[in-house]
Amino acid sequence: MDTTVPQRFVVPIGPQHPALKEPGHFEFTVDGEQVTGASVRLGYAHRGIEKATEGRNWVQNLYLLERICGICSHVHATAYCLGVEKLAGVTPPPRAQAIRVLVAELERIHSHLLWLGVAAHEAGFDTLFMYSWRDRETVMDILEALTGNRVNYSANLLGGVKFDLTSELTDKIYKGLELLEERTYQYVDVVTSDATLLQRTRGVGVTTREQAEQLGLVGPTARASGVERDIRVEAPYAAYPDFPVKVVTATAGDLEARFVVRLQELFEAYRLIRAVLEKLPPGELQARMPRKIKPAETVSRVEAPRGELFYFIKSNGTDQPERIKVRTPTLCNLASVCVLAVGSQLADVPMILAGVDPCFSCNDRMVTVYSGDTDHTQWTWKQLRQYGIDYYRR
Amino acid sequence: MNAIQDLLTLMFFPGGLFVLALGMSYEWIDRKLMARVQNRVGPRWFQPYADIAKLLVKEEVIPADSNRLLFIALPILALAGALTAALYVPLAGFDPLYSFKGDLIVTLYLLSLLTVCTGLAGANTTDRFSLVGATRTLTQLFSYEAPFLLAMLGPAVAARSWQINEIIADADGQWLLIVQPVGFVVALIGLLGKLEIAPFNAPEAETEIVAGALTEYSGRGLALFRLGRHVELVVGLTMVAAFYMGGVSGLPLFVLKTLLLLLILVGIQSLVARLRIDQTVGLWWRWGTLLVLAQWLALVIWEGVQA
Amino acid sequence: MKRHTLLQYAARSLFRRAATQRYPAERTPTPERLRGTLHWTPDGCTGCCLCSKECPANAIEIITIDKTTKQFVARYHADRCIYCGQCVVNCRFSCLTMSPEEWENAALHKQAFTVYYGDAPHVERVLEGFVSQDSASNPST
Repeated sequence: MDTTVPQRFVVPIGPQHPALKEPGHFEFTVDGEQVTGASVRLGYAHRGIEKATEGRNWVQNLYLLERICGICSHVHATAYCLGVEKLAGVTPPPRAQAIRVLVAELERIHSHLLWLGVAAHEAGFDTLFMYSWRDRETVMDILEALTGNRVNYSANLLGGVKFDLTSELTDKIYKGLELLEERTYQYVDVVTSDATLLQRTRGVGVTTREQAEQLGLVGPTARASGVERDIRVEAPYAAYPDFPVKVVTATAGDLEARFVVRLQELFEAYRLIRAVLEKLPPGELQARMPRKIKPAETVSRVEAPRGELFYFIKSNGTDQPERIKVRTPTLCNLASVCVLAVGSQLADVPMILAGVDPCFSCNDRMVTVYSGDTDHTQWTWKQLRQYGIDYYRR
Repeated sequence: MNAIQDLLTLMFFPGGLFVLALGMSYEWIDRKLMARVQNRVGPRWFQPYADIAKLLVKEEVIPADSNRLLFIALPILALAGALTAALYVPLAGFDPLYSFKGDLIVTLYLLSLLTVCTGLAGANTTDRFSLVGATRTLTQLFSYEAPFLLAMLGPAVAARSWQINEIIADADGQWLLIVQPVGFVVALIGLLGKLEIAPFNAPEAETEIVAGALTEYSGRGLALFRLGRHVELVVGLTMVAAFYMGGVSGLPLFVLKTLLLLLILVGIQSLVARLRIDQTVGLWWRWGTLLVLAQWLALVIWEGVQA
Repeated sequence: MKRHTLLQYAARSLFRRAATQRYPAERTPTPERLRGTLHWTPDGCTGCCLCSKECPANAIEIITIDKTTKQFVARYHADRCIYCGQCVVNCRFSCLTMSPEEWENAALHKQAFTVYYGDAPHVERVLEGFVSQDSASNPST
């Protein structure tokens, strides 16, 4: 073997890998256990949703966009609804807005508990994983009873929401929250005191405040580095002006801080849900929406469990949108993985990756780069198919 | 004189098939307890049997760029090592089938055979996960093996014999874990390392390197490796129980003591996160080896003073 | 409220009932709002087709038998349906409901996923091909 040329030993993670629940491809160059280089390739789950929205009417798009993400489906629908309502000049009734917040916070609980389980599993702590996913069923049951589905709740309508609260449901939510709160105390206890878990989280993947700002991190990932960034506070939407949120931050910026921030956000979510339930405004659930919307464009931002979710919506006077652009929080956070992975242990890489709570399918877009020497002609379906056949024949 | 009887002993009872059945039963208990701790229903009693049966009938895929002979021979060797080791320990409360001076050393080496085979099996393929897994397996072998060996030699020093039978007879039902607590703890945790279960499961950390050294194995080869692991679980538990918990004469006592140990193992296994490989090595060499060495020295001096 | 360490909690878990269950031998009752299979009754339907027009998955078709006497048959494609419930919200005459009990909808044949709702003779006529298969929601053809 020629030893003069340093051998590049590349460990691929993905697109099919037990550490990833969705297809993404990471290549880590390792020297022993030390990672010396990292690159990311996305696009395995590109579904062409943005293009598909242009052929559907406003109502149909609500359900299409809700299916961008299975974990944070409600925030996608909310961002879209808020944007379309702004375009149409419709104000949804306050009760509907409050219920939107309620479902959004329930969803945040379910998303953070899911993340806790995944992160614990990456750390090889399967008991914590099983416990947190078991407790997550509590909030899933609440969501199912409230909206009729465990994921893709379809709680939103253009101009309002579908479902009202009943006193039985309120009781169920209160009861569920009590259980969850008790359990969350234990989780905080475990992630801040369990020696083996701390060995894998404390001081691992440290993101400084400067780095976080430079990389443009969003959501709990940024807040764990001390960046106070939360759309619910910066630009309150729906009923958040009436139910103010306290931003949870930490300064350490390591994985432990991310655990703590997400868990503390659970307490904030419990508090918010109780506040909403106590002061639920009376009234209608839906305002009337026009079928067609005059040409205009708008931007809609909401705080998803993973960070800022951004929608750009442009209407053209018909019952279909001209263009919808979605930017999911994972896209902002993913770049940090490549930066943090370099110099860390290979064993820590899945933890660092899980630390940003990635959601790959939400985040896959197609970008066409035109350069001078390439052929710009569009391909027909037949040509594309032939290209695929030829590609794999090699 | 009695070749047929010897053959039956080796193949069926109490060697061979009986050891395999015992191993799978203990594997089931391990999984069931783990599931109960995690508040799950857990597998039914025949699950390990079904797993192995399924793997045995499946097609075995041999990677093109690996050594065919080694690829097939390593799992057989690994299982053979574990099964042979079972002959020298008082399994299920019976006297060891074979015994000679120095069988303790042989048994310990036979037990390591499985790990060595696993490491070689990983290094035999060109799969990157296997290679990283193999490196970790062998690194871990070097870290826990010395303290584990020392911990097992503690009772031997006390009994002044290298023969498993005599060591147990010398202890005469006394629980050595009272006078040699460090040895007991190190032996028990060394067993965790040997079996590559949490927190020492970095060599097969599924979220990092898929299945570690055995990533390329399927079908029969994987089944044999897993059987070897099951057998080693029982043999390891038997040895620790026999040496440190006052022997295992008789089936009820054997079951009771080994299950107690298994419960402790499950407790550790379920309440810790996975250690990184460098942390594993650090833990063993910084604490495990030094502590057990200190105790060993104390033992030797004590024996010297007595003599 | 007493808080336990993980060790205490794990030890207690050993003696607790498992959180998982042996489906399908055991099953939890479904909440009444669960969105299961869609049902359609012909009574009250005016053939406005708001259900099919705004269906994100084109899962429901209203077939006209006789427009003047307001007689329709609904063809429901359970395999396309995404169970969003928009059609139920849209229907002003409460012809559409989603059953909370019917949620185990796996089938071995594709035919099981195309369901016809309506008066039996009307459905028969549609099945036999006497009625133009063009749905009312698609008036251009």
